[in-house]
Amino acid sequence: MASGATGRVAGSDGHAPAPDGQAEDPELRSRFEREVLPLLPSLYPAALRMTRNPADAEDLVQETYLRAYRGFSGFREGTNLKAWMFRILTNTFINSYRKRQREPVTVQDDDIEDWFLYDRLGGTATEESAESEVLERIPDEDIRGALEALPEGFRMAVWLADVEGFSYKEIAEILDIPIGTVMSRLHRGRRALEKALWERVRERGLVRD
Amino acid sequence: MSEIDCEHVLKEIELYLDGELDPSVSARLDEHLSTCTPCADRSDFKRRLKVLISERCGCDVPQDLIVKIRARLAALPPNP
Repeated sequence: MASGATGRVAGSDGHAPAPDGQAEDPELRSRFEREVLPLLPSLYPAALRMTRNPADAEDLVQETYLRAYRGFSGFREGTNLKAWMFRILTNTFINSYRKRQREPVTVQDDDIEDWFLYDRLGGTATEESAESEVLERIPDEDIRGALEALPEGFRMAVWLADVEGFSYKEIAEILDIPIGTVMSRLHRGRRALEKALWERVRERGLVRD
Repeated sequence: MSEIDCEHVLKEIELYLDGELDPSVSARLDEHLSTCTPCADRSDFKRRLKVLISERCGCDVPQDLIVKIRARLAALPPNP
Protein backbone atom coordinates (compact mmCIF):
# COMPACT_ATOMS: atom_id res chain seq x y z
CA MET A 1 0.00 0.00 0.00
CA ALA A 2 1.52 3.30 -1.05
CA SER A 3 1.45 6.23 1.29
CA GLY A 4 2.08 9.94 1.01
CA ALA A 5 0.20 10.10 -2.28
CA THR A 6 0.33 13.86 -2.35
CA GLY A 7 4.07 13.73 -2.78
CA ARG A 8 3.80 12.04 -6.15
CA VAL A 9 5.14 14.35 -8.81
CA ALA A 10 5.72 14.02 -12.52
CA GLY A 11 8.60 11.71 -13.35
CA SER A 12 11.74 12.67 -15.17
CA ASP A 13 11.51 14.57 -18.42
CA GLY A 14 10.98 12.44 -21.45
CA HIS A 15 9.13 9.86 -19.40
CA ALA A 16 7.36 7.59 -21.87
CA PRO A 17 3.59 7.79 -21.79
CA ALA A 18 1.63 4.72 -20.89
CA PRO A 19 0.63 2.67 -23.95
CA ASP A 20 -3.04 3.46 -23.41
CA GLY A 21 -2.38 7.07 -22.44
CA GLN A 22 -4.01 6.48 -19.07
CA ALA A 23 -2.91 6.87 -15.49
CA GLU A 24 0.79 6.77 -16.29
CA ASP A 25 0.54 10.32 -17.59
CA PRO A 26 1.77 12.48 -14.70
CA GLU A 27 -0.12 15.48 -16.01
CA LEU A 28 -3.34 13.48 -15.95
CA ARG A 29 -2.81 12.54 -12.33
CA SER A 30 -2.08 16.07 -11.26
CA ARG A 31 -5.03 17.39 -13.23
CA PHE A 32 -7.22 14.78 -11.54
CA GLU A 33 -6.00 15.88 -8.12
CA ARG A 34 -6.44 19.52 -8.99
CA GLU A 35 -9.89 19.32 -10.54
CA VAL A 36 -11.62 16.23 -9.22
CA LEU A 37 -10.56 15.94 -5.59
CA PRO A 38 -12.05 19.39 -4.76
CA LEU A 39 -15.48 17.99 -5.65
CA LEU A 40 -15.40 15.83 -2.53
CA PRO A 41 -17.48 18.28 -0.41
CA SER A 42 -20.26 17.93 -3.00
CA LEU A 43 -19.97 14.20 -3.52
CA TYR A 44 -19.81 13.01 0.08
CA PRO A 45 -23.09 14.54 1.33
CA ALA A 46 -24.84 13.18 -1.76
CA ALA A 47 -23.36 9.75 -1.05
CA LEU A 48 -24.49 9.96 2.56
CA ARG A 49 -28.09 10.75 1.57
CA MET A 50 -28.06 7.93 -0.95
CA THR A 51 -26.61 5.22 1.28
CA ARG A 52 -28.02 6.67 4.52
CA ASN A 53 -25.02 5.64 6.54
CA PRO A 54 -21.51 7.09 6.86
CA ALA A 55 -19.55 3.86 6.38
CA ASP A 56 -21.26 3.02 3.08
CA ALA A 57 -21.01 6.66 2.02
CA GLU A 58 -17.24 6.62 2.49
CA ASP A 59 -16.92 3.36 0.55
CA LEU A 60 -19.14 4.70 -2.21
CA VAL A 61 -17.13 7.89 -2.58
CA GLN A 62 -13.81 6.03 -2.62
CA GLU A 63 -15.08 3.61 -5.24
CA THR A 64 -16.38 6.55 -7.27
CA TYR A 65 -12.97 8.20 -7.24
CA LEU A 66 -11.21 5.01 -8.29
CA ARG A 67 -13.58 4.51 -11.20
CA ALA A 68 -13.32 8.14 -12.16
CA TYR A 69 -9.54 7.98 -12.17
CA ARG A 70 -9.53 4.93 -14.38
CA GLY A 71 -11.86 6.67 -16.80
CA PHE A 72 -10.39 10.13 -16.55
CA SER A 73 -8.41 9.96 -19.79
CA GLY A 74 -11.76 9.51 -21.53
CA PHE A 75 -13.21 12.63 -19.96
CA ARG A 76 -13.44 15.42 -22.49
CA GLU A 77 -12.17 18.72 -21.22
CA GLY A 78 -14.71 21.49 -21.53
CA THR A 79 -17.61 19.21 -20.64
CA ASN A 80 -19.18 19.27 -17.21
CA LEU A 81 -16.78 17.58 -14.81
CA LYS A 82 -19.11 17.79 -11.83
CA ALA A 83 -21.97 16.19 -13.76
CA TRP A 84 -19.56 13.51 -14.97
CA MET A 85 -18.57 12.73 -11.37
CA PHE A 86 -22.17 12.61 -10.21
CA ARG A 87 -22.94 10.23 -13.01
CA ILE A 88 -20.19 7.90 -11.82
CA LEU A 89 -21.39 8.30 -8.22
CA THR A 90 -24.99 7.39 -9.02
CA ASN A 91 -23.97 4.50 -11.29
CA THR A 92 -21.66 3.13 -8.63
CA PHE A 93 -24.40 3.44 -6.06
CA ILE A 94 -26.95 1.68 -8.24
CA ASN A 95 -24.57 -1.13 -9.18
CA SER A 96 -22.86 -1.74 -5.85
CA TYR A 97 -24.96 -0.56 -2.98
CA ARG A 98 -28.58 -0.57 -3.97
CA LYS A 99 -28.95 -4.32 -3.98
CA ARG A 100 -28.36 -4.34 -0.24
CA GLN A 101 -31.47 -2.30 0.31
CA ARG A 102 -35.05 -3.35 -0.20
CA GLU A 103 -37.35 -0.43 -0.61
CA PRO A 104 -40.17 0.89 -2.74
CA VAL A 105 -39.18 2.25 -6.13
CA THR A 106 -41.97 4.78 -6.45
CA VAL A 107 -43.87 7.23 -4.31
CA GLN A 108 -47.48 6.96 -3.23
CA ASP A 109 -48.63 10.41 -4.15
CA ASP A 110 -52.12 9.97 -5.56
CA ASP A 111 -53.68 11.83 -2.66
CA ILE A 112 -51.12 14.65 -2.44
CA GLU A 113 -52.16 17.88 -4.09
CA ASP A 114 -49.71 20.42 -5.49
CA TRP A 115 -49.91 22.85 -2.57
CA PHE A 116 -50.22 20.19 0.10
CA LEU A 117 -47.94 21.65 2.74
CA TYR A 118 -48.60 25.32 2.04
CA ASP A 119 -52.34 24.85 2.34
CA ARG A 120 -52.05 22.90 5.58
CA LEU A 121 -49.61 25.25 7.23
CA GLY A 122 -51.68 28.20 6.08
CA GLY A 123 -54.76 26.67 7.60
CA THR A 124 -53.20 26.33 11.02
CA ALA A 125 -50.93 29.35 11.13
CA THR A 126 -51.83 32.27 13.29
CA GLU A 127 -49.72 34.92 11.61
CA GLU A 128 -49.34 36.15 8.09
CA SER A 129 -46.74 34.38 5.95
CA ALA A 130 -46.23 31.95 8.81
CA GLU A 131 -45.99 29.01 6.40
CA SER A 132 -42.34 29.65 5.59
CA GLU A 133 -41.60 30.41 9.21
CA VAL A 134 -42.85 27.00 10.33
CA LEU A 135 -40.36 25.41 7.91
CA GLU A 136 -37.50 27.06 9.76
CA ARG A 137 -38.55 25.41 13.01
CA ILE A 138 -38.41 21.87 11.65
CA PRO A 139 -35.33 20.15 13.13
CA ASP A 140 -32.57 19.06 10.69
CA GLU A 141 -33.06 15.39 11.51
CA ASP A 142 -36.69 15.57 10.43
CA ILE A 143 -35.81 17.17 7.13
CA ARG A 144 -33.11 14.58 6.51
CA GLY A 145 -35.47 11.82 7.54
CA ALA A 146 -38.14 13.05 5.14
CA LEU A 147 -35.64 13.22 2.30
CA GLU A 148 -34.15 9.82 3.06
CA ALA A 149 -37.62 8.31 3.12
CA LEU A 150 -38.03 9.07 -0.58
CA PRO A 151 -37.39 6.20 -2.96
CA GLU A 152 -33.82 6.54 -4.28
CA GLY A 153 -34.64 7.64 -7.83
CA PHE A 154 -36.77 10.47 -6.48
CA ARG A 155 -34.32 11.32 -3.74
CA MET A 156 -31.43 11.62 -6.21
CA ALA A 157 -33.43 13.81 -8.59
CA VAL A 158 -34.43 16.18 -5.79
CA TRP A 159 -30.88 16.27 -4.48
CA LEU A 160 -29.34 17.01 -7.87
CA ALA A 161 -31.85 19.79 -8.53
CA ASP A 162 -32.15 21.45 -5.13
CA VAL A 163 -28.71 20.97 -3.62
CA GLU A 164 -26.48 20.90 -6.69
CA GLY A 165 -28.62 23.09 -8.90
CA PHE A 166 -28.22 20.88 -11.95
CA SER A 167 -30.52 21.57 -14.88
CA TYR A 168 -33.14 19.01 -15.90
CA LYS A 169 -31.00 18.14 -18.91
CA GLU A 170 -27.96 17.51 -16.73
CA ILE A 171 -29.99 15.41 -14.29
CA ALA A 172 -31.33 13.39 -17.21
CA GLU A 173 -27.76 12.68 -18.32
CA ILE A 174 -26.52 11.90 -14.81
CA LEU A 175 -29.34 9.47 -14.05
CA ASP A 176 -29.61 8.26 -17.65
CA ILE A 177 -33.35 8.85 -17.82
CA PRO A 178 -35.52 11.00 -20.14
CA ILE A 179 -36.14 14.64 -19.18
CA GLY A 180 -39.84 13.89 -18.78
CA THR A 181 -38.95 11.33 -16.12
CA VAL A 182 -36.77 13.91 -14.36
CA MET A 183 -39.69 16.34 -14.26
CA SER A 184 -42.07 13.70 -13.01
CA ARG A 185 -39.67 12.51 -10.30
CA LEU A 186 -39.09 16.06 -9.10
CA HIS A 187 -42.76 16.93 -9.06
CA ARG A 188 -43.88 13.75 -7.36
CA GLY A 189 -40.84 13.51 -5.11
CA ARG A 190 -41.38 17.02 -3.80
CA ARG A 191 -45.04 16.35 -3.09
CA ALA A 192 -44.12 13.21 -1.16
CA LEU A 193 -41.50 15.25 0.69
CA GLU A 194 -44.14 17.83 1.62
CA LYS A 195 -46.37 15.12 3.02
CA ALA A 196 -43.54 13.59 5.03
CA LEU A 197 -42.62 17.02 6.39
CA TRP A 198 -46.22 17.66 7.32
CA GLU A 199 -46.36 14.43 9.30
CA ARG A 200 -43.24 15.45 11.20
CA VAL A 201 -44.52 18.98 11.77
CA ARG A 202 -47.63 17.52 13.37
CA GLU A 203 -45.75 14.96 15.44
CA ARG A 204 -43.54 17.72 16.77
CA GLY A 205 -46.52 19.87 17.57
CA LEU A 206 -45.13 22.75 15.51
CA VAL A 207 -48.65 23.67 14.46
CA ARG A 208 -52.02 23.54 16.11
CA ASP A 209 -54.39 20.99 14.63
CA MET B 1 -47.13 41.60 -23.49
CA SER B 2 -50.22 39.73 -22.43
CA GLU B 3 -51.16 39.23 -18.80
CA ILE B 4 -50.95 35.79 -17.28
CA ASP B 5 -53.36 34.74 -14.60
CA CYS B 6 -52.61 33.31 -11.15
CA GLU B 7 -53.60 29.80 -12.10
CA HIS B 8 -51.13 29.77 -14.97
CA VAL B 9 -48.38 31.23 -12.79
CA LEU B 10 -48.86 28.67 -10.04
CA LYS B 11 -48.85 25.85 -12.54
CA GLU B 12 -45.46 26.97 -13.85
CA ILE B 13 -43.93 27.81 -10.49
CA GLU B 14 -41.87 24.62 -10.15
CA LEU B 15 -40.24 25.08 -13.57
CA TYR B 16 -39.80 28.75 -12.78
CA LEU B 17 -37.97 28.09 -9.51
CA ASP B 18 -35.85 25.41 -11.14
CA GLY B 19 -34.77 27.91 -13.78
CA GLU B 20 -36.21 25.81 -16.57
CA LEU B 21 -38.59 28.29 -18.16
CA ASP B 22 -37.88 30.15 -21.35
CA PRO B 23 -36.44 33.55 -20.33
CA SER B 24 -39.37 35.46 -21.83
CA VAL B 25 -41.90 33.34 -19.92
CA SER B 26 -39.82 33.61 -16.77
CA ALA B 27 -39.83 37.40 -17.10
CA ARG B 28 -43.62 37.39 -17.30
CA LEU B 29 -43.76 35.38 -14.10
CA ASP B 30 -41.35 37.80 -12.46
CA GLU B 31 -43.65 40.62 -13.41
CA HIS B 32 -46.74 38.86 -12.08
CA LEU B 33 -45.04 37.89 -8.82
CA SER B 34 -43.89 41.45 -8.25
CA THR B 35 -47.47 42.64 -8.04
CA CYS B 36 -49.46 39.59 -6.82
CA THR B 37 -48.85 38.97 -3.12
CA PRO B 38 -50.72 35.64 -2.84
CA CYS B 39 -48.74 34.13 -5.73
CA ALA B 40 -45.49 35.62 -4.42
CA ASP B 41 -46.17 34.09 -1.01
CA ARG B 42 -46.70 30.66 -2.55
CA SER B 43 -43.65 31.03 -4.74
CA ASP B 44 -41.56 32.04 -1.76
CA PHE B 45 -42.78 29.00 0.15
CA LYS B 46 -41.73 26.59 -2.59
CA ARG B 47 -38.41 28.36 -2.87
CA ARG B 48 -37.87 27.96 0.88
CA LEU B 49 -38.57 24.23 0.55
CA LYS B 50 -35.84 23.91 -2.07
CA VAL B 51 -33.38 25.86 0.05
CA LEU B 52 -34.32 23.82 3.11
CA ILE B 53 -32.99 20.65 1.52
CA SER B 54 -29.64 22.17 0.61
CA GLU B 55 -29.21 24.07 3.86
CA ARG B 56 -30.16 21.31 6.25
CA CYS B 57 -29.19 18.06 4.57
CA GLY B 58 -25.54 18.84 4.03
CA CYS B 59 -22.69 17.52 6.15
CA ASP B 60 -18.95 17.82 6.59
CA VAL B 61 -16.61 15.42 4.87
CA PRO B 62 -14.93 13.05 7.36
CA GLN B 63 -11.46 14.42 7.93
CA ASP B 64 -9.48 11.40 6.83
CA LEU B 65 -11.52 10.58 3.72
CA ILE B 66 -9.34 12.61 1.37
CA VAL B 67 -6.28 10.84 2.76
CA LYS B 68 -7.87 7.44 2.11
CA ILE B 69 -8.77 8.44 -1.43
CA ARG B 70 -5.29 9.73 -2.20
CA ALA B 71 -3.75 6.54 -0.82
CA ARG B 72 -6.00 4.34 -2.93
CA LEU B 73 -5.27 6.37 -6.05
CA ALA B 74 -1.56 6.17 -5.40
CA ALA B 75 -1.82 2.41 -4.98
CA LEU B 76 -3.33 1.90 -8.41
CA PRO B 77 -1.02 0.13 -10.83
CA PRO B 78 0.61 2.55 -13.26
CA ASN B 79 -1.11 0.89 -16.22
CA PRO B 80 -4.47 -0.41 -15.05
